[in-house]
Amino acid sequence: MAGLLILLFFLLLGTLLQGAFSLPLPGSILGMLLLLISLILRGKIPEHLASISQTLAPLLPLFIIPVSVGVVTQKALLQEHGLLLLGILAVSLIPGALLCAWIMKGGKAGL
Amino acid sequence: MITELLQLPLFWATLTIGAFILGQQVYRLSGNSAFIPPILTGIVLVVTVVEVTGTPFSTYMQGGDYLHQMLGPVVVMLAVPMYQFLHSMRKQIVRIVLAVSLGSGVTVAVAAGLAHWLIGDAAITTTMHTKSITTPVAVAVSEQVGGIPALASVFVMITGLLGALMIPPLLKVTRLDQPQALGLALGTCAHAVGTGRAMELGAQQSAYSAMAMTLTGTLHAVVLPLIL
Repeated sequence: MAGLLILLFFLLLGTLLQGAFSLPLPGSILGMLLLLISLILRGKIPEHLASISQTLAPLLPLFIIPVSVGVVTQKALLQEHGLLLLGILAVSLIPGALLCAWIMKGGKAGL
Repeated sequence: MITELLQLPLFWATLTIGAFILGQQVYRLSGNSAFIPPILTGIVLVVTVVEVTGTPFSTYMQGGDYLHQMLGPVVVMLAVPMYQFLHSMRKQIVRIVLAVSLGSGVTVAVAAGLAHWLIGDAAITTTMHTKSITTPVAVAVSEQVGGIPALASVFVMITGLLGALMIPPLLKVTRLDQPQALGLALGTCAHAVGTGRAMELGAQQSAYSAMAMTLTGTLHAVVLPLIL
């Protein structure tokens, strides 16, 4: 549980900073960046943080379901523009995927 | 009795968890197919119940909020895989950052440009910018920049499914399907669903996809609120 406390601490810190300085980034993202910086400074991942990550990561999709159910409030919009939106999402993938893979292609093998 | 049940926040929280667990079972039965992620099944089931019972979304969300509140700590948690990737791929980091930022930048710019030109609704265009970010981050960002979080989640999911479907054959035809390039493109353009597809393709594809997904999410979360 100490891992969860670390996550909550950084979330609180990020949220406070966001409010105090009216920063454009969401508090959770600020918290994430602060935790990342502290991990880089520390040079390794504390054991209780690794263990809470393993516990929470598989549950991540569950936490996204409620906000996604909000799609029921967007029915009119989806009925009007649904197919067009689908087309835009499909077409826009092509140049991005090609460019990304093309830049990476010359990379050396191995991790 | 039923009417009272439908008013209880706890009922909706329980239903959401049940729907997710059912989604996990379906996913396993499908042989872990990237095209039937547990979240998709979960959403379809919950939406069906909400619609059939005629429950207002605000009533549902009183219960859904129990789970929704966990998104904050989970987003903070993404620092852990991010750190691991920075550590294990530091030799290639310049190339990876370049590929991920330009690749994701182009796909988002094209999508937002087309949405602005073809639909012209400001909230849709803004939301379109978050389409390549992994969902928990996309939701946080779209709340921040004045998009529609529920729509962001749907765009992200559809993008993920389309990307998982389109990207492997697209890169095969163009002969850009080296394991690292394919993994990176999947993670950059199709985030978690793409990473699920990458896991089916191989270990290198999977590692690079997870890296690209995390990096794209972080980059976009920092950049989008500044430019929108």
